[in-house]
Amino acid sequence: MMGKLLTADFLKIKRKGLWFLTLLGPIGVVALQMVNYGVRKDYLLQQSEDDWGYFLLNIHSFTPLAIVLGIAILTSFMASIENETNAWKQLIALPVSKLSVYLSKFTVLAILLFLSSTLLMIFTLSYGLFLNLGEPVPYLELAKFSYFPALAALPILALQLWIASVCHNQGIPITVGIFGVIFAYSSYVLPDWMIWKWPSLMNQWDEPIINVMLGVGIGILLYIVGVIDFARRDVK
Amino acid sequence: MSAILRAEWFKLHKSKMVPIILAGPVIGLFIGLSANLEDNMSGIPINEWYIALFSMNLTYALLFLPLITGVFASLICRYEHQSGGWKQLLALPVTRGKVFIAKYVLIMLLVMAMQLLYLCSVFAVGLIKGYTDPFPMEIVWKSIMGGWVATFPLVALQLWMSIMFKSFAAPFAVNVVFTLPSIFAINSERIGPYYPWAQPFSMMYIGGSTDDVFFVPWEQLLTVVGGGFILFFLGGYFYFQRKAI
Repeated sequence: MMGKLLTADFLKIKRKGLWFLTLLGPIGVVALQMVNYGVRKDYLLQQSEDDWGYFLLNIHSFTPLAIVLGIAILTSFMASIENETNAWKQLIALPVSKLSVYLSKFTVLAILLFLSSTLLMIFTLSYGLFLNLGEPVPYLELAKFSYFPALAALPILALQLWIASVCHNQGIPITVGIFGVIFAYSSYVLPDWMIWKWPSLMNQWDEPIINVMLGVGIGILLYIVGVIDFARRDVK
Repeated sequence: MSAILRAEWFKLHKSKMVPIILAGPVIGLFIGLSANLEDNMSGIPINEWYIALFSMNLTYALLFLPLITGVFASLICRYEHQSGGWKQLLALPVTRGKVFIAKYVLIMLLVMAMQLLYLCSVFAVGLIKGYTDPFPMEIVWKSIMGGWVATFPLVALQLWMSIMFKSFAAPFAVNVVFTLPSIFAINSERIGPYYPWAQPFSMMYIGGSTDDVFFVPWEQLLTVVGGGFILFFLGGYFYFQRKAI
């Protein structure tokens, strides 16, 4: 059943711009650094001995913002597909459980998110090699800066999908997304327990892996809360 | 015209617009109370209000204001996109041009209301932190009004996009794509003055020159904000005239 639901959901997001946005996110993040390094490469290379590390930090200054906003957009799109034509009713009337409908939507979004992270890694690596930042290439750090923010953002994905699928007025999840990006932008003043701080990989122990573990754990928890609430509600 | 405006208002005022308009002052309070610039600046003889305004206006004008205007624009088209609302509205004895202008005017009034509420939140932050310096009324007004004027072209584009797309997410995506680069644009002296999405920040940035009415020179205001407004407003206006509903 799950496989068929996933196929159906992938069919539904065709030609809606979701694939395009998944591609645009990482391109945008790297393109901003292309402008940055294009304008003042010499100055930026002087800033640090570790050119690769500094480059990754620059890339990472935009990744959390792009992830938070991207999640808000994709989840709202996902819900709009059903909302616009009142398709929730028809979807739930099929011999599928509400739990699996929700899980399928979540899975599709998570796949898009990780595709985005993989693309970010590829684009970062290519532009880094193009800039000739020197040897050795820190592949492990590169993978960390690409996948850790996405994993740490899983609670945000669960929260946004929950709000988007239970609110008829999509203005609400979008506004929550805007709050999220403001929090992510000012994450250095946020306390460690705020989920919007986690994609920045900052915490008081300076251990990014804690954010990832918290992200996966709380992400699953928020997902369960969301799915229970979604299953209990009337389909409008 | 006033009848259309009133009709738009009736449609809007029960559509959960109030919590969204309150988002402005809430964000203002959050930034104002969470920033601790005072510690870094103690000893420097500067009006305490400026410190609060610096940190609050940065995040508010750079990201929040451009993004939230798009939500207002989408909200105002929401009823029409649901189950043939455009057909019902345009079957009335109104012209499409008037409908477009009425929607635009109402969004600008909402943004104005949010700016005033934000002003209240600036004031509240000062009261909570116990500032004793005189309130820099003139500078704050310049900043509030400037931020409002700077959203003119942004709202026009967002209204255009909101009429074009049925979902909230698509116009928001357009908005995000243009707004995020302004974080970079404001750091560049060459691009910053010409980037329409960076204008709310420039117009609210209290460090600018205070000789003019606003914090940016008139030429920049007229060409970038005015030019952008004319381009996007006419684009949306004529798109709506020809749109098949």
